Amino acid sequence: MTGTGVSGLPAMERVTDEGHGALIADRFFESLRVASVELVAGLPESLMRTVFRRLLDGVPGIPYVPVSNEAELPGIAAGAYLGGVRSLVLMENSGIRQCCEAVARLSFSHQIPFVLGMTYRGELGETNWWGHSHAQTMIPVLQALRIPFTHVRTPDDMVGAVDLAWKHADSSQWPVALIYGGQAVEH
Amino acid sequence: MSPTPDMDRIDAITSIASVVSEDDLFISSLGALRADWWNHRPGGPNGPDLCFWPVALGSVTPMALGLALALPHRSVYALETDGSVLMNTGVFCTLARQKPKNLTIIIFDNEMYESIGGIPSLTAFGCDLSKMASGAGCENCETVWDAPSLKDCVDRFGHDDAFGLVTAKVSSAVYPWPNEKRKPTDGVEDKYRFMRHVEASEGRVVHRVETIEHRAPAQRPSAV
Repeated sequence: MTGTGVSGLPAMERVTDEGHGALIADRFFESLRVASVELVAGLPESLMRTVFRRLLDGVPGIPYVPVSNEAELPGIAAGAYLGGVRSLVLMENSGIRQCCEAVARLSFSHQIPFVLGMTYRGELGETNWWGHSHAQTMIPVLQALRIPFTHVRTPDDMVGAVDLAWKHADSSQWPVALIYGGQAVEH
Repeated sequence: MSPTPDMDRIDAITSIASVVSEDDLFISSLGALRADWWNHRPGGPNGPDLCFWPVALGSVTPMALGLALALPHRSVYALETDGSVLMNTGVFCTLARQKPKNLTIIIFDNEMYESIGGIPSLTAFGCDLSKMASGAGCENCETVWDAPSLKDCVDRFGHDDAFGLVTAKVSSAVYPWPNEKRKPTDGVEDKYRFMRHVEASEGRVVHRVETIEHRAPAQRPSAV
């Protein structure tokens, strides 16, 4: 690892091996089991495409709610929490802009916790011109919403991350974000 | 031309209250609806905190969906408004795929933003929310203009083990609740009260508290 990433992280080589998506998906679903997550709601994107394909195919014990707009996601997660179910929201980092209002309302006005998982589109090495704004706005938006976040950089990092995020969210009664990047996404 | 509504919101709410029970759970929109439902909900003003009022237009139905998925054995109702639904109509597509059998959406459509002075909403110009939901793929979508029809519809949808959505066309009327009849809590207390009701009625923990004091003495930090 050399240099620094867009948000001050060490740069990390991309993994493009065949089978890397499957490894990520395996670790991702293991992380849900570790955290006792019983529901995933999300909007598909490419950096977690194998995860989304498995979710649509059906994962035992993990109902999946695909939406057409990330603005639906905080409400679904908040409702599940009040029903006693831990969920995970999964989306591209641009989704935090789309669901910003719902997050603000449910956190500042009600202090309802949920975990927002988002992929790090626009991190160092981004080749898509449209992807850079996602990275440029992600952390400022999270900070404006006072949402604690942490980076998940490798498949092994993934395993305990959701459980830690939920412990943090539940004890603080506030949303927490996980940013999947580095080798924890597929290119 | 559409019929003229033959009910106001109080007529609609009392007819709904007559066919739901204290075992059911509700996610409700805000505005005048808050005091109306608080006073007419099952159990009355001293009844259980079986309703949560998110101060988030566009998130009422998504919250009800999340709650319904979390508690598939409980009947869950979203008490929606035209203004709130119009903010997030994509959720109709989500509902069409999920088909939550225990969820009923009731939309109070007065074709206006009543709490801010009655400025027309887009349903005043021909937008039909039940047809939109139906077009998105939702089954059991109806529109009613009078209280007996609404009562019949909610009774069927709430007990038929299938998803249902009803748009209740209501006339404009803000009931002048005295302050002592209004819900006296803020959004954070609302959350805790609803959460405690779910915990008590479900026998499950929602908010998991785990401080150092919860550890066995041998696992706590000790003075050196």
